[in-house]
Amino acid sequence: MKNARQVPAQAAPLVREDVIVFSVGEYKFAIAASVVKEIRGMEGLTQFTLGGISAKISKLAFTLERNGTTYFVVDAARHFQLSSSQPSRVMILRNGVTALLVDITDRILEITSLHALPRAFTHDERIWYRGLAVVNGAVLPIVNHNAFLNKAEYDILSSGLERVRGIVTV
Amino acid sequence: MSAEGGKSYVLFPLGEKRFALPAECVTELARPDSLQTFPHRTPLLAGVLVRRGRIVPVCDVAQVLVGPAAPPRKFYLIANCKIGQRQELTAIPVTGDCELATAALVPLTGKEPHYIQGLLDLGGEPVAIVALEILISMEAPA
Repeated sequence: MKNARQVPAQAAPLVREDVIVFSVGEYKFAIAASVVKEIRGMEGLTQFTLGGISAKISKLAFTLERNGTTYFVVDAARHFQLSSSQPSRVMILRNGVTALLVDITDRILEITSLHALPRAFTHDERIWYRGLAVVNGAVLPIVNHNAFLNKAEYDILSSGLERVRGIVTV
Repeated sequence: MSAEGGKSYVLFPLGEKRFALPAECVTELARPDSLQTFPHRTPLLAGVLVRRGRIVPVCDVAQVLVGPAAPPRKFYLIANCKIGQRQELTAIPVTGDCELATAALVPLTGKEPHYIQGLLDLGGEPVAIVALEILISMEAPA
């Protein structure tokens, strides 16, 4: 093609952040290391079957009792609407009651820039990801840890739990 | 519609058909780099490329323009596309070499899809000018 023009590269905002790389199905993701409290195996998970709520929040797979706290374990494959996964690790997140079920946790690495998700992406992924990092030429989506259970889903959970507790009390 | 004298277009092939983009919005024709994918829900987006430190979304418009039977894409035509208030690069997989052409516009028939913003007359071959920003916002065909 003739008359091609170059657009100068636009630098992504500089950041320095440690992230934990993890896999779900065939995909790799990363999450800010600062929001992960603990990574553990699948022992101690209890199937989540709370009448009606399980159907409303299908990605909520298990609960985990840990140091007196009940964590709600989100299946990352269902969250990202992936068809296959082989979960083996649980990442317990800080400052909340969410944990994440993933296939493999890989390594911690430092990213030095975070690209905004291109605006051509217009659907759920705008909530799923904080942005994209490029590591050795590979694009790594940096997940938004607040998106695994959103406020509406917390509200459903809370009201369901209150209802159940009310029934138990009676 | 009257002819716009001297306006240039980049013609790109998708199988047997050719389409056009205004030349001023095209930045380069790139060889196939490794397309990188991650989970998302936006129709038509096939993934992203990393080009000179920038992340460029790849929009497979062939699904809309020629249907699922389009032959394998060989190159990426990278164009500036206005999305919202911003210009962003977008890569379109195309099936062969592109060329620069200057041609007269012919009137639209009124039956064209809304992502066709004009027609070029190239020696009897009508070539549709694609409004990329409209096309990439479309839902994928069923």
